[in-house]
Amino acid sequence: MPNRVAIVGIGQTYHTGSRDDVSQPEMVAEAVRAALADAQLSIKDIEGVFSGNMETFEGIYLPDHGMAAEVGAFGKPGFKVNTGGTTGASVVTEGFYMVSSGLYDLALVIGFEKQDCGDTTAAISAAAVPTWAKGAATGAIGEFAKQALAYLETSGAKEEHAAMVRLKADRNACRNPYAHLKLGLKNIDEVLQSPYLVWPLRLMDFCPQSCGACALVLASEKRAKNIHKKPVWIADVEVVHQEPFRAGVFGDPTGKETYTQHVACERLYKRNGITNPRKDIDMAEIYEPSNWEELNLYEHLHFCDKNEGWKLIEKGITEIEGEFPVNPSGGVIATNPIGATPIIRVAEAALQIRGDAGEHQIAKDIKTAMATALGGPNWTVLFLLKRSL
Amino acid sequence: MSKESPNKKAEGPEYIRIKFDAPRPYNWSTGKYLGKVYAEAKENKKLVSNRCPQCKEIWLPPTPVCPKCKVDMGWDWVELPQTGTVYQYTYLVYPLWDPHFGEKWANPYPSATILLDNGVFYRHWIEETDKEKLRVGMRVQAVWKEDYDERGQGVQDILYFRTIEA
Repeated sequence: MPNRVAIVGIGQTYHTGSRDDVSQPEMVAEAVRAALADAQLSIKDIEGVFSGNMETFEGIYLPDHGMAAEVGAFGKPGFKVNTGGTTGASVVTEGFYMVSSGLYDLALVIGFEKQDCGDTTAAISAAAVPTWAKGAATGAIGEFAKQALAYLETSGAKEEHAAMVRLKADRNACRNPYAHLKLGLKNIDEVLQSPYLVWPLRLMDFCPQSCGACALVLASEKRAKNIHKKPVWIADVEVVHQEPFRAGVFGDPTGKETYTQHVACERLYKRNGITNPRKDIDMAEIYEPSNWEELNLYEHLHFCDKNEGWKLIEKGITEIEGEFPVNPSGGVIATNPIGATPIIRVAEAALQIRGDAGEHQIAKDIKTAMATALGGPNWTVLFLLKRSL
Repeated sequence: MSKESPNKKAEGPEYIRIKFDAPRPYNWSTGKYLGKVYAEAKENKKLVSNRCPQCKEIWLPPTPVCPKCKVDMGWDWVELPQTGTVYQYTYLVYPLWDPHFGEKWANPYPSATILLDNGVFYRHWIEETDKEKLRVGMRVQAVWKEDYDERGQGVQDILYFRTIEA
């Protein structure tokens, strides 16, 4: 039986397109200081420091170098991971493993990205393996465009439904002081009139390139209760890997290849006795780089049946006031500092459980929340968070 | 050494942004398995991949180990059909920047995920550029570079997939 692990400190930077005022390590330190302040701990209390970011997005191969002092890792154990889009979730998983194993009582996990340094899409797609599929690569956005198209042509959804998701995200982001894009959108026409980037995705259908960082302090059960009066428990974690070029596509609806979201959900729900996620879980922070992907994910995460995802947004079910709020933070489509993005999902879900989300706090009581991540190699990471175990 | 900087003291900090645009050459190896794909494409205009001895799944690109069964794949090569159905597609409206070669790059052809007629997924681009004629489910066939000397670029020896009658 693994030891229980709680989130006892939550910190993030504000997120924006350009942070000329700080170096990457200085920016990351802001989130670390915020998380430590929230936990009312000193960096001296932390036993291991684990961080995650995407090499080459900043045009350098060790973006964490020159950061040991700023994040308090100097002289401490820990390492950096990169698992593509899931990086920030892998870091939390890593910290969870370390504390749950009993190796450490207090671990600091950090995700970060400073996208004003380089060109993310260049790193993802144009730097794809040249011996295979480089020519057909269209970046993360191209993959999501293909899914959006398949969804548009087969599910019964209209462009208006994706626009409704975008509008929901923007309304929520405008209430979140840390969110990047706060467009103040008034109606879906503003979304439907934005220009195409990669067909059928419009400019407003896709996430921005953000700069920012997010950090969490994870604690063992024996320490957690003395550190924070509202610890949030990581009740369960599920990680499933796959290789997209070799094993079908994202969310392959032919069922020829079980897609990772499906496998991960099946395992997580079964272990935790979840039969109706929308009833058994109170809210979700999901990794939706595009509004179309959010509709897809409603189905892949079994929040509804197949081809019913667009009906959830049509009925307002996933709105902040709805029956099952999804991404009250504004989500990835409003804020995407890639290495930090999934850790923000966990942080935001934990804030909702604590009741500390401020203006974007869900009105109904949140006891159980789900946080998800997906990434380029078609990996899925799922977290189930709870107020009490 | 002078005690004071000859430069006038700055009023406040000046933030510096550094731009770097020097070209960097790279070399990539295909390896033994992908090398077979390159050779068959160049010599025979064939698309090949290998099959798991246990579950009989064909994996594309080829692999030395079956991802599912975790067993050695061996050297059981299969010729793949060159016809298939478009499963997903998109096209770039905004060009990419290629850090390998330091230039802007936009494939003029739509990028597609094609379900080959034996059920294997394959990513390539399609010839049809008329948006009105693009459809999920359209039938397509590989068109190869005819000149032997121009081939040798692996799967890029296939120019594109051309629309065929259903």
